Amino acid sequence: MTAALIAALSLLVLGLPVALALDRRAAGPLLLGTAFLYGSGLIFLVLMLLSIVHVRWTVVTVTIVGLLGCSVAWLLSRLTPRQPSNQATQQPRFHWLDLATLVTMAGYALYATIAPLWEWDFWAIWGMKARVFLDAGGIDWRFLESRWNSYVHPDYPLLVPLNFDFVALLQGGWSDRWLGIFSVAWAVALLLIVRDLAGREASPIPAALATLVIAPIAASRFIGIAEGPLIAFGGAAVLFLRRAMLFDDRAAWRHGAVLLGLAASVKNEGIALIVSVAIAMLFVRRRDLVRLWPAVAIIAPWMILRVTHDLPTDIASGPIFGRVLVRVPHAGEIAGILTRTLFHPFFWAALLLGFLIVPAARRRELFVLLVTAIQLSFYLATYFATPNDPRWHIATSWSRLTEQLAVPITFVVVLMLARTAAGPPETEAS
Amino acid sequence: MLFRRIASLATLLAIVALRLDTQMMQLPFIDRRPIAEAFDNYADGDWKQYPRFLQRVRDCTRPGDSIAIVAPAMKWDDGYSYAYYRGSYYLTGREVLPLVTADDRLHPDNFYRARYIATWRAKVPPGRYRVICQAEGGALLQR
Repeated sequence: MTAALIAALSLLVLGLPVALALDRRAAGPLLLGTAFLYGSGLIFLVLMLLSIVHVRWTVVTVTIVGLLGCSVAWLLSRLTPRQPSNQATQQPRFHWLDLATLVTMAGYALYATIAPLWEWDFWAIWGMKARVFLDAGGIDWRFLESRWNSYVHPDYPLLVPLNFDFVALLQGGWSDRWLGIFSVAWAVALLLIVRDLAGREASPIPAALATLVIAPIAASRFIGIAEGPLIAFGGAAVLFLRRAMLFDDRAAWRHGAVLLGLAASVKNEGIALIVSVAIAMLFVRRRDLVRLWPAVAIIAPWMILRVTHDLPTDIASGPIFGRVLVRVPHAGEIAGILTRTLFHPFFWAALLLGFLIVPAARRRELFVLLVTAIQLSFYLATYFATPNDPRWHIATSWSRLTEQLAVPITFVVVLMLARTAAGPPETEAS
Repeated sequence: MLFRRIASLATLLAIVALRLDTQMMQLPFIDRRPIAEAFDNYADGDWKQYPRFLQRVRDCTRPGDSIAIVAPAMKWDDGYSYAYYRGSYYLTGREVLPLVTADDRLHPDNFYRARYIATWRAKVPPGRYRVICQAEGGALLQR
């Protein structure tokens, strides 16, 4: 347990200068949350870089390159002008309702570390790759390219396995007993960001309620696999980009773009999220589209490696258009299965109702609505294109995919409803 | 306006009630041993000896060795997928070769290509084998 805890704390420390380089005014929960996420992203980039230049992973090599990256970020943070104190830099005030979130997360921490990681997808995909790479001292391209190993989804980006490798390097060998600590850390990081962002535009009660409602979404039950970190990076990215557009917050643009790139480094759905965000911005803020360049820059090396090593994507294998054409006449049947198996259907109905009650908010929150709808349409298209039986594919993924989408939409609906219920508009930070 | 405020409050409370994670909230205050036991057994179910056998195979082989897995279930969805994936997880650094693939096709070529045969609670085709090690109802064989 000690190694996993030290690894998580090391990532927090490594990420602090990165968070401050992007946002000199960051403090409190937002600084802690973003620092862990950036530390997690930085260690992924460090291990990938070492693999690309054929330097074997050891505690020493990883530490040297990690500290180097950290120092560059620290120097950059010194160059960034400090924002004068104003309403936007105020720390959130906490409320006793936050205790409920705290208890939820205490329970989650116990759940995530209750046993060695048990998920099939952990030991067949995420943990498997981490363990193989640890033995190889770097990314094992031969393993990823082998036709017998297509089950590990060789095309998936490697942030999660490489984070597990960092823990294994610190503890001097592989053990899956305490890796659940990372699932907790990613979830807590997201909640710290959510609480801070909500506190900047709402009073403590709605901010605490939004965090409490989002806690079970952040605390993904799929321990040790990529759902939790994807929810954390993707959810935080969309919330920062929303803030950037609503409040002309330059630091939020930087956070949003970098976190979006890291979301894409977690799983293919994160890559789709970059496309969803870009399309949504074409409608909402076309002139700022270029601000997303860090997201593309972060995922570009992996995309190039993926192509050069010819790593296959299962969805795209075989006659994809033929499959779609065959399934289109069965769209009603597929829609029926999706409706019947929707996770938390009443919750989704309540979110929809929220938008109907406050129609004026639909325009204000158009970005989040569009991102959610476009990303959802990608997921639905996957069920028509999958080489697997769509019923099996839906049964094994639909609940996870809807949870991936839930954070930003829940955030805006809860705050919007709270604002309307409170009556006169509240003062907002800008 | 009043109706909208009341409806907003009611919907907000409904959202909170629908997403409160009471299971997680209770977890710090209950006996967690049965849950821990259940998750301990989740991955391997009735095949509890199998990971211990694989660990023994790992100890008896070296990185780079190729190993084919023979399991009681030689159909993909009947258990071979589990045997193969679990084998690959425990035997990282070695080349684990499947004898059955997801389309239930047999791959006898892998049987003959592999340096070792890891057989657990299953018979192997007749032939001359050298037993490298034995444990937990299985054996590592070399042709």
